[in-house]
Amino acid sequence: MTFVLRMVGRELRASWRRLAFFFVCVAVGVGAIVALRSVIQSVGVAMTSETRALTAADVMIESGQPWTEEALALIDAAVADEPDVARMASIETATMARPADPSKSVAKVVELRGVEAGFPYYGTFVLQDGVAYQHALLAGGGALVRPELLVQLDVQVGDDIIIGEGTFEIRGVILREPGGQLGAFSFGPRVLIDHADLLATGLLGFGTRAERQWLLRLPEERIDPLVEALQDPLRDEFVSIRSYQRTEDRIATNLKRAENYLSLIGFIVLILGGIGVWSVTRVFVQQRVRSVAILKCLGATGGQVLAIYVTQVAVLGVGGSLLGVALAGGVMAAIPESVATQAATAAGLADLTYGLTVSAVVQGLVVGIVVSLLFALGPLLDMRTIKPLALLRWGLIPAGSRDWTQIAVGVLLAVGLLAVASWQADSWAVGLWACGGFAVIAGTLHLVGQGLVRVIQPLGAGRGFAFRHAVLNLARPGNQTRVILLAVGLGSFFIIGIHAVQANLVTAFSLEIGDNPPDMFLIDIQRDQAEGVGALVADRTGRSPNLLPVLRARVTGVSGATTTLDTVGEIRRRGMGREYTVTYRDRLEENERVVDGVFWNDEPSDQPEVSVEESVVSRLGLELGDTVRFDVLGRELAATVSSVRTVDWDDTRSGGFMFLFRPGVLDEAPHSFIAFIQGPTGTDARATLQRDLVAGFPNVSVIDGLEVIATIRRILDGATLAISIVGGIALLSGVLILVGSVAMTKYQRLYETAIFRTLGATSRTVVVMLVVEYGTLGLVAGVVGSLGALGLTWALTRFLLEINWNPAPWINVVGLVATALVVGAVGVVSSLDVLRKKPLGTLRAE
Amino acid sequence: MIELRNVSKTVVSGTEPLTIVQPLDLSVAAGEYLAVVGPSGSGKSTLLGLIAGLDLPTTGEILIDGEAITSLNEDALAQLRGRKIGFIFQFFHLVPSLTAFENVLVPLEIAGAANARDRVATLLRDVGLAGRAHHYPAQLSGGEQQRVASARALANDPPILLADEPTGNLDSANGQHIVALLRSVNATRRTTIVLVTHDAELAATADVMLRLRDGRAERVPLVSAEVAR
Repeated sequence: MTFVLRMVGRELRASWRRLAFFFVCVAVGVGAIVALRSVIQSVGVAMTSETRALTAADVMIESGQPWTEEALALIDAAVADEPDVARMASIETATMARPADPSKSVAKVVELRGVEAGFPYYGTFVLQDGVAYQHALLAGGGALVRPELLVQLDVQVGDDIIIGEGTFEIRGVILREPGGQLGAFSFGPRVLIDHADLLATGLLGFGTRAERQWLLRLPEERIDPLVEALQDPLRDEFVSIRSYQRTEDRIATNLKRAENYLSLIGFIVLILGGIGVWSVTRVFVQQRVRSVAILKCLGATGGQVLAIYVTQVAVLGVGGSLLGVALAGGVMAAIPESVATQAATAAGLADLTYGLTVSAVVQGLVVGIVVSLLFALGPLLDMRTIKPLALLRWGLIPAGSRDWTQIAVGVLLAVGLLAVASWQADSWAVGLWACGGFAVIAGTLHLVGQGLVRVIQPLGAGRGFAFRHAVLNLARPGNQTRVILLAVGLGSFFIIGIHAVQANLVTAFSLEIGDNPPDMFLIDIQRDQAEGVGALVADRTGRSPNLLPVLRARVTGVSGATTTLDTVGEIRRRGMGREYTVTYRDRLEENERVVDGVFWNDEPSDQPEVSVEESVVSRLGLELGDTVRFDVLGRELAATVSSVRTVDWDDTRSGGFMFLFRPGVLDEAPHSFIAFIQGPTGTDARATLQRDLVAGFPNVSVIDGLEVIATIRRILDGATLAISIVGGIALLSGVLILVGSVAMTKYQRLYETAIFRTLGATSRTVVVMLVVEYGTLGLVAGVVGSLGALGLTWALTRFLLEINWNPAPWINVVGLVATALVVGAVGVVSSLDVLRKKPLGTLRAE
Repeated sequence: MIELRNVSKTVVSGTEPLTIVQPLDLSVAAGEYLAVVGPSGSGKSTLLGLIAGLDLPTTGEILIDGEAITSLNEDALAQLRGRKIGFIFQFFHLVPSLTAFENVLVPLEIAGAANARDRVATLLRDVGLAGRAHHYPAQLSGGEQQRVASARALANDPPILLADEPTGNLDSANGQHIVALLRSVNATRRTTIVLVTHDAELAATADVMLRLRDGRAERVPLVSAEVAR
């Protein structure tokens, strides 16, 4: 054992420079895992320690509809039994706000919340300039707003803004708010007003989307019994109830999922590092054949020799993993405090302390060491076949018969990686998919790379010395071509692919597709406002808007030939439990097509008939002639399915509806209208139209599609940046593997170059060889990555995102050229000292 | 005591079998100094490799001190070499990543010998390299490297020393130094030596000469050996 350990020390001393790259490969992957996990865990700790503040109450009961008498009775009855309960009401709705100053022609969508005195039960407000929150700031027409609204409306504290029919004085600016909807999509900045004032704005007209809430505070031990008692009865009233612990659980689950997926990405980076480790070890073993033969000649057993090198790999694995942890620590320390504060504020947290977490560090270390050993073991096992006879007769390593140990190690590697991936993702299925997907991509890249190398082989018979040898170098024994192609190809594949997908998404969301697409959406137009809104829009845009009548409805049952669903619970289990916006008309829109049954004629009918979108048919197991029961504003409506439609959801001119009713039944029911219009061009004209619409019809919300597109683009940019960073780490791994491969084969290259130069090759010839060799390698890697990215974009757009595939050739070309340049430059620069060494010294050393 | 019974070695060269060593019986007594001579390709080095257990014979049996090494596995052979056989190569074969001192230390460490470092110091002093102990092979001349290799071969005081063209890459002075070392070891420690060489002068320093030609062996007693002593 002492001998083994001493030899490990000596070997490390002699070859640490060559193996430094091994180190870095492991470190990058481990660093990625530790940093990603630590960040998410830190956020998780901060969030779950403040969940009460996130809901601002112990229990929140919420309804999208005005409270029904039944629901209120249920809540009242349950609360009446609780001795120490406090409750208050709150309402949230998206609406428009505009400055009271008529000279400012701007109106913006805001997230309005009305709260009662005593809000919040938990958590504290942080207002600008250290102002302390008190309900008096809201009472009597006061409003607290987010800072971004001040900029958007060009107003300041003290100014008045108009919301609905009410005028509110801005009395403070909210920096942090308890009870904000965590992570929910927001239509606009928060405006907080008094609950009673909100009721007086006239905004809660018919069909308005608003969340009515009851916030409850009660003793800890009473929370679960109350939630359990109310959950089922309220569900049938379409009312949700949840405790702060439920929120905590939900946040914890979501964070855990995010953490696991991000760690999986880190793991994939580590696998790339593993490929680097494998490549380094393979070359290292080739360079150690003579030393191993000498050791065996001097009496060392195969076990001792293997132990020396396995221990060496383990030491490097530990070292690399520790370096990875240090890297992660460095990255975390480098996150500017302002970013952390911003993130904390956005999440409604008091503060967010980033730092390495013990569990992330332990996981990173274990995964780093296991992956190092798994990838290095295969090449190291080759040492068993090195015979001392190699000292007398060079190169006599028999290919041998089938090596069961190597096969077993291969199986161990596959199972080990699957286990680690599953551990990281916390799911066998995800681990299997990740490993399988990675294997398929890597295998494809490998085969394509091999094919391309074969294609360029004939160039090796060319006349130019430098060119011929450069091409031959790509296929020489012990070459790193396939490893570099795999690693760099994967990196460029990720980056090019992700950018191409982003380009496709932006195109899909862009309103530039089609002729005259709508870019402004008007919602909550009341029946008596329809005419006025239509006239105003026609006046400003020159076109009368198509006002679509809409109602909110829920499916409550199905009586069909083959399917009978009696309860809301059964509908919910089929994924159809939410509230739908429905409409009625006597014709099909341009984006609709009947695929089954017959669409009604233009005669109204008092027999309810419904045309359903085709996906509904499979979900509810419907057939033509079946009866679907709806709850429309508390009234039950049983409609016969008379046709099935497809809807082109990309074409938004006429909207899209899952349920379309025949005119005659719903016409007289109370309903509101929505309109998709093409707004005027020019920022000022758009702002004026929005303002005038809101001024004339205060409850109407105007959503500017161009701003939504800009928001989506921002979100996509953020996501692309995040994915690009991951792709960048993958590419960095690829470049590291490239540098490592060059470094590892440099000794062989030094010798060859020394011989070439002794035989008369000039430095220029050697440089041309290097440029051609690495340029070709980079080009092939770029082609492989680019082709893979095309395939990835096609598959993702078609099957996952279900949008049109628009190849973005310039992204592929730029990616290809950039990959070729990076590989060429790195390869040549890392090999330059081949030129500096004097040939004689190199030849004597051999 | 080294004993070869009907030992032959045939390899496949291209598609044709090529017999390098014809069936051979050979016995080398303990303390004997045998020189194996013959032209290039006559099978000298192969024979030495077979005796060291570095290769397996195609036929026959090889016994070292009565133990049939042909039936031993790789690890047992490695341990046998560690205990009983020292080997000097024409191309030195030092581990390039270890210093001269460490190269000599390795066999002692493998054998778990006590006072290994003192022994290494003595050995290096004996071969005149005390001052170069911490140099790497690349920093030593060919003669110095061969002296380190010789010290390493003698580290465990093996009863058998096999030398494959030990002076083949050395100048005359360094060659003389190695020859003197071999003679001294044979004389003082009664180490059995099998020396492969095509240098007639070097071969003449042995007790007995085995001449290989076309894979066949002919044992030639050397009278001059007595004279040389």
